[in-house]
Amino acid sequence: MQKILMLEDDEKLRNELEIFLNNNGYETQSLKKFDNPIQDILTINPDLILLDINLPGADGQYICKEIRKQSNLPIIIITSRDNEIDELLSINYGADHYITKPFNIQILLAKISSLLKRSNMGSNQEKIDCKEFILNIAKNTIEKDQKEIELTRNEFKILKYLAERRNKIVSREEIMEHLWESESFIDDNTLTVNITRLRNKLEELEIKELLVTKRGQGYILI
Amino acid sequence: MKFTEFLKDKMLQIILIIFGLITIEIFLLAYHIGNFIKIYIPSIIIILYSITIIVEYLIKKQFYKNTTNLLNELEDKYLITEIIKTPNFTEGKKLIEILEQTNKSMIEKVNQYKYAQEDYKEYIELWIHEIKIPIATSKMIIENNKNQATKSIDEELNKVENYIEQALYYARSNTVEKDYYIKKSNLKEIVNESILKNKTTLIQEKILINTHDLNINVSTDSKWIVFILNQIIQNSVKYRKKEEQSEIEIYAKKAKENVTLYIKDNGIGIKKGEISRIFEKGFTGTNGRTASKKSTGIGLYLCKKLCDKLGIGIEINSIENKETEVKLIFPNGSHVDIK
Repeated sequence: MQKILMLEDDEKLRNELEIFLNNNGYETQSLKKFDNPIQDILTINPDLILLDINLPGADGQYICKEIRKQSNLPIIIITSRDNEIDELLSINYGADHYITKPFNIQILLAKISSLLKRSNMGSNQEKIDCKEFILNIAKNTIEKDQKEIELTRNEFKILKYLAERRNKIVSREEIMEHLWESESFIDDNTLTVNITRLRNKLEELEIKELLVTKRGQGYILI
Repeated sequence: MKFTEFLKDKMLQIILIIFGLITIEIFLLAYHIGNFIKIYIPSIIIILYSITIIVEYLIKKQFYKNTTNLLNELEDKYLITEIIKTPNFTEGKKLIEILEQTNKSMIEKVNQYKYAQEDYKEYIELWIHEIKIPIATSKMIIENNKNQATKSIDEELNKVENYIEQALYYARSNTVEKDYYIKKSNLKEIVNESILKNKTTLIQEKILINTHDLNINVSTDSKWIVFILNQIIQNSVKYRKKEEQSEIEIYAKKAKENVTLYIKDNGIGIKKGEISRIFEKGFTGTNGRTASKKSTGIGLYLCKKLCDKLGIGIEINSIENKETEVKLIFPNGSHVDIK
């Protein structure tokens, strides 16, 4: 499991964030004291840092700069300072992303996962094995017994999203929000069309029954 | 300054001199002095006195004429003391001294208010940063406890968030100093960010989003533009037609001197007579007064104000019951006229 280190002084926010990240399959750890943050971070050696700028006794931008001198690990700054100058400064100090509070949690999650993917490029999996079929991330295809079917970008995203939440009902709104985040602003009808097409393609591989429609609730990949 | 007015001011002197001349004449008559002297003495006094009066009039007239002209040309009239030439007569010198002193005290007073406002703005900004933390925390709690009730709270929190943003930009829009950062920004990124900000409402209300031709760079502060777009999109959602499929179309056109960003919706539109007033502070219009849509009349007012500060044009066209089109006009190139 990948470890995310949080430097956030608001205890409640930190706890909720930890719950959320744990639910989404990340291990979390927090620094509670900021006397010697740089040393602490390097000892913990996380896969990614979530960093607040206003910390008691320490400055996030300074920490970011110091860490960058010694390590390449991904840093996301989360702050309530909402202006371009702070953002520019943070990026110049080597932060990978700058997110302002209150943040969109799904966007944060997407940024975390894409950063982690990039930093583990070497060992990164190109395929996700879903037992009955294999999702090929590099080629946007779905494979089963030597057969390979190409999916459109949206179809692939939907299937991958469902596969990551296997055996859980996913509402149409949730899928749409997910697609919107990758800047494909589809509407309700387009989603229906996408699902139908996806189902037809699954049928070609004879695994159509995996994708079940729950009337009035959404979809589920069983 | 007319000559007659000037003479009127000198009336006492003139009367005394006439009185003096009469007494001199009486003495001269009493001592039987020759006619030549009788005429010569009063004439020389009258001529010399007239010369001094005319010279004085000309000097003063010149000074006041110059001053009035300068004053008319000046936009900030209080700067007159900085450019005026000190005259060489005492009265003028005294006048300038008085002007300088009143100016000084006025500037001190103005500064007092300026600092007070600055202080207040700083407090508002700080307060906004503080309040964002509990909002972020609340949103996280909602995310970890998803159900109908929390979803509803989330919608309300989004409204709170928007009001807070408005307050922040309102505070920023009122200060004279530079509070923004102009850099090259991509319109597509800006538009996408503002759409994502409203994603939950847009999906829930099943509003079609149609964006195209947005891959254009403009020089501006992208955060401010996201805020402005946010207000415009929220208006489109608020004033949509309930009985029809709502659609928001966003696209840009590049011209020689500028780039125009269009935000078009098929909502209820704005009454023809009201269009000219929509940027006024507190103006709600017929649309904003219907029971279901409480309008504060701040959103578009702020948009206009921020656009003016950034040197961006903003125009709204609308056909009632058909469509509303907002145009944001970005001047081309790195040269931006900043106010």
